[in-house]
Amino acid sequence: MPTALMLASEGGITVNGPLVVADNLFGIPGFKLTESIIVQWVVIAILLAVVLAISRNLKVIPETKRQMAAEWIVSFFVDTVDTTMGKKYNKYRAYIMALFCFIMIQNLMGLLGLRSPTSDVSVTGTLAVITFCLVQYNKGKTGKFKGYMKSFVEPLPFMLPFNIIGEFANPLALALRLFGNMIAGTVINALIYFALGKLAILIPAIASLYFDIFSAVMQAYIFIMLSMSYISSADCEG
Amino acid sequence: MDGMTPETMKILANAIVLGASALGAGTAMIAGLGPGIGEGFCGGKAVEAIGRQPEASGAITRTMIIGDALAETTGLYALVIALLLMYANPLLGKLI
Repeated sequence: MPTALMLASEGGITVNGPLVVADNLFGIPGFKLTESIIVQWVVIAILLAVVLAISRNLKVIPETKRQMAAEWIVSFFVDTVDTTMGKKYNKYRAYIMALFCFIMIQNLMGLLGLRSPTSDVSVTGTLAVITFCLVQYNKGKTGKFKGYMKSFVEPLPFMLPFNIIGEFANPLALALRLFGNMIAGTVINALIYFALGKLAILIPAIASLYFDIFSAVMQAYIFIMLSMSYISSADCEG
Repeated sequence: MDGMTPETMKILANAIVLGASALGAGTAMIAGLGPGIGEGFCGGKAVEAIGRQPEASGAITRTMIIGDALAETTGLYALVIALLLMYANPLLGKLI
């Protein structure tokens, strides 16, 4: 009997979710090892290798191009965090830099023909949850218990439900923005390859230039910019 | 519904749901209008601002990118709904 799902995919385009490599790991039901996690391990390995290679034999006065590049990258993030969040939040520099590099390399994985982990909503959701926790932490730290509770009834007490919804809407939008952009690239590339068939020569490259390179770097930048403005605006001292 | 076997009814029901889902996915993407207008407005205003104050172009561009990203959100919600309807339809098999 032809089921509806088969009809939908018959001779057409299928965009699959991330492959599930192993299911029910360690006997825990639903504990899966997916393609996203494996590719993330690759990303972590790449980042670790680059960081170790770039930060060896540092001198006070830079001599090598390698050290100049490293200093340029670090000072870019120091400047970005200082201008967006203010000097008060300089301990977030390392986190923001790590976040940007991690998301950017993940997005660029599409170039290698791998499925970029950020087109999996559970990966972007996790990153957004980290930002959400930092927002709550910063709120509690700056306002203590009283200020934390008071921030929900500002400017007027009847705004309480809207403030609570807004608190959860921010990370949701953050996760869906990155996921939506990356999955849109994946789907549109699949559509282009399907439509062109064997003639897929130049046009996929141009689409890939936009979706895999421009959009990848841009979305990583937008993610850190929004994370920074959410964290620094959760300041109860004002 | 008299002369139909349960099998035919199931196929018919799923066909209606699939057709309606395809229409729904297309209709959902009308939401692309909003972010388009919003981002265009944002970019235009940024160009005006840079024209007035060319030395502040760095800060203006940064702010513009955040504004673009926020304007894009509603469009991405629509995209997620459209993708759900196309690839992970929650409505299939609800009737029978």
